[in-house]
Amino acid sequence: MLSRSVARRVLGSRVFLSQKCGLSSQAAQREKVIRSREMNENEPRPLYMDFQATTPMDPRVLDAMLPYQVNYYGNPHSRTHAYGWESESAVELARKQVADLIGADPREIIFTSGATESNNISIKGVGRFYKTKKKHVITTQTEHKCVLDSCRALEAEGFHITYLPVKSNGLVDLQQLEESFRPDTSLVSIMTVNNEIGVIQPIKEIGHLCQSRKIFFHTDAAQAAGKIPLDVNDMKIDLMSISGHKIYGPKGVGAVYVRRRPRVRLEPLQSGGGQERGLRSGTVPTPLAVGLGAACEIARQEMKYDEHRVSMLSKRLIDKIMAGLPDVIMNGDPEKRYSGCINLSFAYVEGESLLMALKDVALSSGSACTSASLEPSYVLRAIGTDEDLAHSSIRFGIGRFTTEEEVDYTAEKCILQVKRLREMSPLWEMVQEGIDLKSIKWTQH
Amino acid sequence: VLRKSMGLTLTIRTVSNIPNLSNWARLKHCRHLQHSTSGARCQTACRSLHTSAGLCHSDEEGAERERGKDVVNVVYVDRSGRRIPVKGRVGDNVLYLAHKHGIELEGACEASLACSTCHVYVSDRHHDKLPEPDEREDDMLDMAPLLQENSRLGCQIILTPELEGMELTLPKITRNFYVDGHTPKPH
Repeated sequence: MLSRSVARRVLGSRVFLSQKCGLSSQAAQREKVIRSREMNENEPRPLYMDFQATTPMDPRVLDAMLPYQVNYYGNPHSRTHAYGWESESAVELARKQVADLIGADPREIIFTSGATESNNISIKGVGRFYKTKKKHVITTQTEHKCVLDSCRALEAEGFHITYLPVKSNGLVDLQQLEESFRPDTSLVSIMTVNNEIGVIQPIKEIGHLCQSRKIFFHTDAAQAAGKIPLDVNDMKIDLMSISGHKIYGPKGVGAVYVRRRPRVRLEPLQSGGGQERGLRSGTVPTPLAVGLGAACEIARQEMKYDEHRVSMLSKRLIDKIMAGLPDVIMNGDPEKRYSGCINLSFAYVEGESLLMALKDVALSSGSACTSASLEPSYVLRAIGTDEDLAHSSIRFGIGRFTTEEEVDYTAEKCILQVKRLREMSPLWEMVQEGIDLKSIKWTQH
Repeated sequence: VLRKSMGLTLTIRTVSNIPNLSNWARLKHCRHLQHSTSGARCQTACRSLHTSAGLCHSDEEGAERERGKDVVNVVYVDRSGRRIPVKGRVGDNVLYLAHKHGIELEGACEASLACSTCHVYVSDRHHDKLPEPDEREDDMLDMAPLLQENSRLGCQIILTPELEGMELTLPKITRNFYVDGHTPKPH
């Protein structure tokens, strides 16, 4: 039997305490597994280059939120005392801050638990409200999983959904969109900035097109809000989803913009006491809403500076990698994109192996919500990428807090590892010898 | 006193709607109605002082002719599905018309656009003939449960001749839904 001090050092004090507290051995096992996967305390943390998955919270946002966690903790719907009134005024201020970011009226903003919920509310809500006369919804093949899943749920309820294909640069074809309109179309849902390849869709043109046909236009602006200038009236947007943790705000909060003139009606998903205009019942989480508001305000003020800086860093990264390596393809339109999201395919190198080789840089191949599956990204398939290139793609995310040193380090490491992996690759050898890989007939063993 | 006198005016109006009654019989009926006022509510139809007592004094024949032009037939479908045809007049408020005829259309805020309890479904044919809802009406409608495309607030619908034959269906629940079957008395 080990002595207590030795056991503590070996297993970590947490595990020892759990034994001391008499927790089951299963809990102790779980602790051990978690701690073995966590990094060593002495190892430096990886560079964060995955700003599309989530963003660190801006310290100014945290400053804004803290008082509402511990001091001003009232329920904003309590009408009868000062705790409620001060929470309510904080929530209303946050609402105004979110509205100002997108050019909306504060009464048109509804707080939700995130962009996924906002997308669900928009698509299912509008679809079901107008279902007696209109049963057709149009979306694209490159949408976020929650949009596609909501559409699938509507299909199960008897709707017809058109999943528009995209051009090879990732943008939707306006002609095709117009042709897919039907007299019974109620909603078009097209995201503003794609989370995997970073392309910016022609939202203004789509909005005007939809308005001319009296069809509601929803856009998932989770990756776009606070990063590119948006105006719901200029772009004729009827519904928009915003996510808190993509704009340096807290996780677990988002917003949906629902136009009031002309009125967009929704069937609410969440029933309850009628908060948030009856569209999303439930106590509004004051600290999270305040955080989202503060994040939106900061984003609005610093948008120009951030955009300039991020595009400078992005250019730096792309130029360095493209200069250092042959056969690197950027997925998505090179012009109409958000510069902070770069999706590169390194030919003849497997994406997952490159990620593991770049162990001290936090990157992803494809979006976070699909990273667990073995299939390559459906977005890359939709833009017509070859399957082998789709497996070799890496997404670099640059944000407000990325430094030039991080970008330089990432580029250099990437070049090094790709070269190393290509040395090991038989496909690369064959290409060097001049063999056309497409002409090879692979046999089964 | 004002209220009582207006109540009386309304009672007289209700009575005067009944055709083929001599004036004397009408007055008797008036008194009878006043006693039973506690059941069927006599409402102040509108906020401004208006004297419709002229109806009482006018010639019977003339009154009938006028009444014929003014009448708008609407049908209320209450929560149990029962159809109640009602003869309204041009300028009548749908909410108060319902109260006059004992239909359970709750108007919690008394037509001041502050609630959604008088929410009704308008028949499709007549829905487009109604004027566009005010922004405040839309706001209140947003909070009504079981909203549909043909939903409107009853207290904002004023009868016009082209709404002849309109069907107003009451939704199954309002914001003040009581799961024990309680229905609040109209104010």
